[in-house]
Amino acid sequence: MPRTPPTQRPAPPKGMRRPASLALLACAVFFTALSPLMRWYAFPRLAKIPPGQYQDMVLEATPATLIDYGTMKAEQVPKVTIVQTLKGNVAEARRIEQTAGRDVVVWDTLSYVAGPDGKMVSEIPERYIFDAHSQEPVHATGEMVDGDPVRRAGIEYKWPFLTEKRDYTYFDAQTRTSAPIHYKGTRTFHGLEVYYFEQTIPWTKVPLPKKMPVKGITPQAVEKTGTTRWYTTTRMFWVDPVTGAPVNGEEIHKEELRGGQLLPGGGTVTAFAGHVRMRDDYVKSTVALVSSQRTLVLLLTSYLPWGFLTLGAALLALSLLLEARGRRPRKAPESETVQAEGVVSGGT
Amino acid sequence: MRALTAAAVGLAAALALVLTATALGAPQGRTSPKPLLTTVPKHP
Repeated sequence: MPRTPPTQRPAPPKGMRRPASLALLACAVFFTALSPLMRWYAFPRLAKIPPGQYQDMVLEATPATLIDYGTMKAEQVPKVTIVQTLKGNVAEARRIEQTAGRDVVVWDTLSYVAGPDGKMVSEIPERYIFDAHSQEPVHATGEMVDGDPVRRAGIEYKWPFLTEKRDYTYFDAQTRTSAPIHYKGTRTFHGLEVYYFEQTIPWTKVPLPKKMPVKGITPQAVEKTGTTRWYTTTRMFWVDPVTGAPVNGEEIHKEELRGGQLLPGGGTVTAFAGHVRMRDDYVKSTVALVSSQRTLVLLLTSYLPWGFLTLGAALLALSLLLEARGRRPRKAPESETVQAEGVVSGGT
Repeated sequence: MRALTAAAVGLAAALALVLTATALGAPQGRTSPKPLLTTVPKHP
């Protein structure tokens, strides 16, 4: 009688067959595909500046030089405060989006300068319209600085998400022109790694503000006297490269009134001069705000994509391991084989 | 063949999730009722 061979499973069919391995493979592909999709498809579309944002900022120059319009002489004052408010106009953004065909943000801003007594020195309103994702300027009716229609080039107030180590074009509201703002290196500010940018605007003749600090005096009246307003500034920004939001800003700002009947003999008087810095409490609140937003951006650009990729690789490995174990030929238990052999030999 | 189907299911699910999330987008929000400031705020 022929010997019975040890019990063996039949050879497995080609390809994966275990439902668990197949499920793990599907999950592995899901997470692995999600990784680049999240970083390069979802992030550029999901990361955008909310159109209804409201933010205020207080900057101070202590001390400062300010003109006294009564005597037309410059005097030292203990403090000049600049209050900047930025308000997202959602209705206007929706209106412009219909023709622009992309997500748009409309910021109505006001830079209100107050003297040491809290009285208005100047106030400049602006409307800044830009692409919610890329920060590129969008040109539409209503774009203005102090009521003057403008056509911006470059950025203003904020850098794009994932700011690069390079020069950007920055719009200067006083001159209504754009000029390069230079990347000057990486710094650490309140524990954040930030990019430092600097721009110098040389002495330039600029328009008088529409609202003058003295009642009855209009810019047209001053212009008629032949007196002109000149301005120079060096602006500095410490920018969080992940969100593109400045966490600190300073400006060494000088304004002069020159010539005309108000300053006979080609005279010059400082209208305002000072080193303007963000108030400490606003620096702290800005750093806290940017830190929280930074985590959200990093979630989409780094944490989730890398996490998904790792998870995908682990699931793929697990799926292959499970499948390999399922395919290994399984021998019958030793005792069973011996017993079978004994029965066979005993029978002869 | 089954492995290919499983991979295709995983890929399709990832695409569907990302496309849905991006199509829904973020809520528009509304314009803040707060005014543009002409006084110095005491704190942020």
